[in-house]
Amino acid sequence: MLRIPFLVAITLAFAFGGGIASSVWALKATAGFGSIAIGPWVAFPQAQTATADPYAKAHRARAGDLLFGGAEGLVFSAATDDSGARLSSDCSYDISGITPPARFWTFYATTADGVTLRPGPDLPAAINSWTVLRAQDSSFVIHASAAAKPNNWLAIRHSGSFKLVLTLLDTPTAGSSGLIDLAMPKIIKTGCGNA
Amino acid sequence: MRSLLFAIVVGLVGATLLHIVIVLALPQFTGRDAYTRVLDLLEMDSFFALSAEPGPTGLRNSDPFLRTAVCSFSVADAPTRFIARGSVPFWSLSIFDSGSNEVFSMNDQTAVNGNLDLVVATPIQLVELRKSPPEALAQSIMIEMGDEDGYAVLRALAPLGSFDEEVRDFLTESSCGLFRRS
Repeated sequence: MLRIPFLVAITLAFAFGGGIASSVWALKATAGFGSIAIGPWVAFPQAQTATADPYAKAHRARAGDLLFGGAEGLVFSAATDDSGARLSSDCSYDISGITPPARFWTFYATTADGVTLRPGPDLPAAINSWTVLRAQDSSFVIHASAAAKPNNWLAIRHSGSFKLVLTLLDTPTAGSSGLIDLAMPKIIKTGCGNA
Repeated sequence: MRSLLFAIVVGLVGATLLHIVIVLALPQFTGRDAYTRVLDLLEMDSFFALSAEPGPTGLRNSDPFLRTAVCSFSVADAPTRFIARGSVPFWSLSIFDSGSNEVFSMNDQTAVNGNLDLVVATPIQLVELRKSPPEALAQSIMIEMGDEDGYAVLRALAPLGSFDEEVRDFLTESSCGLFRRS
């Protein structure tokens, strides 16, 4: 009677539901294979090339971003701190250390979807390698927080989770074979709430 | 019961196949990949400077210190020449084909005298250009592109607010147009 149509319906529901859901999930979860991961920082040096894997190609076609070429730079982004917890705008973070060799770098925060946070012209919403205040050994500490901080303050005016983006311009890291020991800044949570 | 289990297993096999088909076919039909968005600006053969707010195409300057200009071009009829001059602390250019694959990228330190002068041509056009090099292209970098259509992304850096004007001039004075022998 209705047994066979029912079984066919079950099969089709699993095939289409599972196929579409798994594709959407896979493309949201990552920008493909071949990432460089240093602590919480992730970069995709091959994502814009013709040799990128099918997941990277599908992801960039869906996102439609203007990617950086190999000679331009490399974009590192971090969605978690060093302990693996999501970056939350209720908390304050210290980003400390040095960057891999690059002619220039820029540092800013985005929403979880990658839209740049622009808290307004009066607040320091982005820092670059010219404007950052450094210690004597050229390392730096950037305080990402909603509340004003001394020294390098990155103002976070947002609710929910956010991402940090460090763009290295004209860097040998983009062609890295993994032979260079790359050091990226550490992201340490210093407190939450108004504390 | 066994036939129900069988139906689910067949469904999961189908899901795997569909997953592969979707991931492989997606770049052809998203309609919002970078090349389509650049074409939607309706600015052929000139650099279009992006603003911080996403326009109708969704393209924007995501980095607060980098100003971006894009140009869609076609080398089907004649080579395309990219020129930009000016003193900015850093600029970089990438050429992508219509599948948004990187064809070529460079920055101010890999350029001749720090100025952008680049010719993109098909292999056949390039043979002609090499056979009798025009005087105007003596300093140009020539690159070959298999695909006929593509887009270019020019980025210029303004590390401080006082560089904004120079960077804006650099981008508005840059050109991206067909090269024809006069």
